[in-house]
Amino acid sequence: MDNVNVGRHISGQFNEDLERVINHVMQMGGLVEKQLSESLQAVYEADQDLAKKVQQNDYQINALEVSIDDECTRIIAKRQPAAGDLRLIMAVVKTIADLERIGDEAQKIAKVAMESFSSEQKDMLLNLDNLGRHVLEFLQATLDAFTRMDFDAAVKIHKSDNKIDREYEALMRQLMTYMMEDPRSIPRIMSVIWSARALERIGDRCQNICEYIIYFVKGKVVRHTTPEDMEKL
Amino acid sequence: MISVTPKVAADSETKIDLSNLSPEQVALDINNLNLYYGQKQALQNITMSIPKGQVTAFIGPSGCGKSTLLRCINRMNDLVDICRIEGEINLHGENIYGKHVDVAALRRQVGMVFQRPNPFPKSIYENVVYGLRITGNNNRRELDEAVEKSLRSAALWDEVKDRLHESALGLSGGQQQRLVIARAIAIEPEVLLLDEPTSALDPISTLTIEELINDLKKQFTVVIVTHNMQQAARVSDQTAFMYMGDLIEYSDTNTLFTTPVKKKTEDYITGRYG
Repeated sequence: MDNVNVGRHISGQFNEDLERVINHVMQMGGLVEKQLSESLQAVYEADQDLAKKVQQNDYQINALEVSIDDECTRIIAKRQPAAGDLRLIMAVVKTIADLERIGDEAQKIAKVAMESFSSEQKDMLLNLDNLGRHVLEFLQATLDAFTRMDFDAAVKIHKSDNKIDREYEALMRQLMTYMMEDPRSIPRIMSVIWSARALERIGDRCQNICEYIIYFVKGKVVRHTTPEDMEKL
Repeated sequence: MISVTPKVAADSETKIDLSNLSPEQVALDINNLNLYYGQKQALQNITMSIPKGQVTAFIGPSGCGKSTLLRCINRMNDLVDICRIEGEINLHGENIYGKHVDVAALRRQVGMVFQRPNPFPKSIYENVVYGLRITGNNNRRELDEAVEKSLRSAALWDEVKDRLHESALGLSGGQQQRLVIARAIAIEPEVLLLDEPTSALDPISTLTIEELINDLKKQFTVVIVTHNMQQAARVSDQTAFMYMGDLIEYSDTNTLFTTPVKKKTEDYITGRYG
């Protein structure tokens, strides 16, 4: 926590409240990361048991989101946070919403892994490998930047999302070709497309989290702005 | 990605640029103000412009000079023997510390309300018209009108209209404070100074006064000193943070409470050790 200085409040209780919230967000981030990595593994290895486990564990993420939300509401009601504290709470509230949705996307990917595929179909799923790996790295880097509230890292990650978008588009073109060549493959390709779509959305949500980091550090809203505007900060 | 800067649904009021106010926008112009109590310097080189028709709040820890600065604006510090002042405060481009300034006239232009309500031991009616009577106005109709107008402005009329001639001391604390505000605005000053006007009041009376402050700025320039930071955040358009006689940061309230520039300000408003 280089930039997040939750301590030094005259009220020790306030320090504790904020620390607890931060710790819970970290915990939630760790869970989401694990869910995504396991759902991808389940797809590559056609491991239905693992996929089932991912499905079942999603409730933990949801429960954490609700409880962090609750803690933040209580802090706002009781402490009326201002300046950095207020921006931290706002960033947390928004971040956990995105984390929860990332958890849902992981669950969707796991659902694809639950389907039974023939070996030929399994090959098709391997197309997701590159995109999946990059998105996982992207999520890890985002969570890392959040932990340190690292402005520079957040800007860098935010910019690199277009790499994921390009990969997604390339994959789409490839899948489209397959579909045209062999219309019978369409149903199983659709499953791949749903997963790819989920991965692409995770990239966007990571980008959102980077925007909240930038908001916390600089107090500037960079949502819906151009990359050039962000450079100016 | 959308290639436009987001147009945030901004506050309905147009934001004013404190560093670049036109002369018509300025109510008070404080210039290099230094104040000493004996050897001790209590205000150091304060320079700021207080905009017209807005609420400006001074916040800061005890002893930071915020009340002292407020008192300078209607020369209340003249009453302190060991007090010495350098620099100027301009009202309409005229220095209120100039040689030929009539202090009584100045205080008619710059009214003040204190921490504890201090009604005179007279009737509600006589309290409100006190200032007008002093200026020699004894016209019954005009006084009646002034009483109704001031009490309405101070959001007290409906509560006291049937007992205007009863003693003001029978009112509750919150009502007394509103009566004192009515007394201050009866003579139609331009600037109204409020020195912790709600610190002796309960939360509901406090909200009533805050609502009143919001109405008052339509007619007057309001400057308020408060220990309650949330109150400053709620009622003011500009906030000045002072610390040990220095003006640390002065900006529009929304900015100061969400993204202060100075670390001292951030520490103070978030309740941290300095």
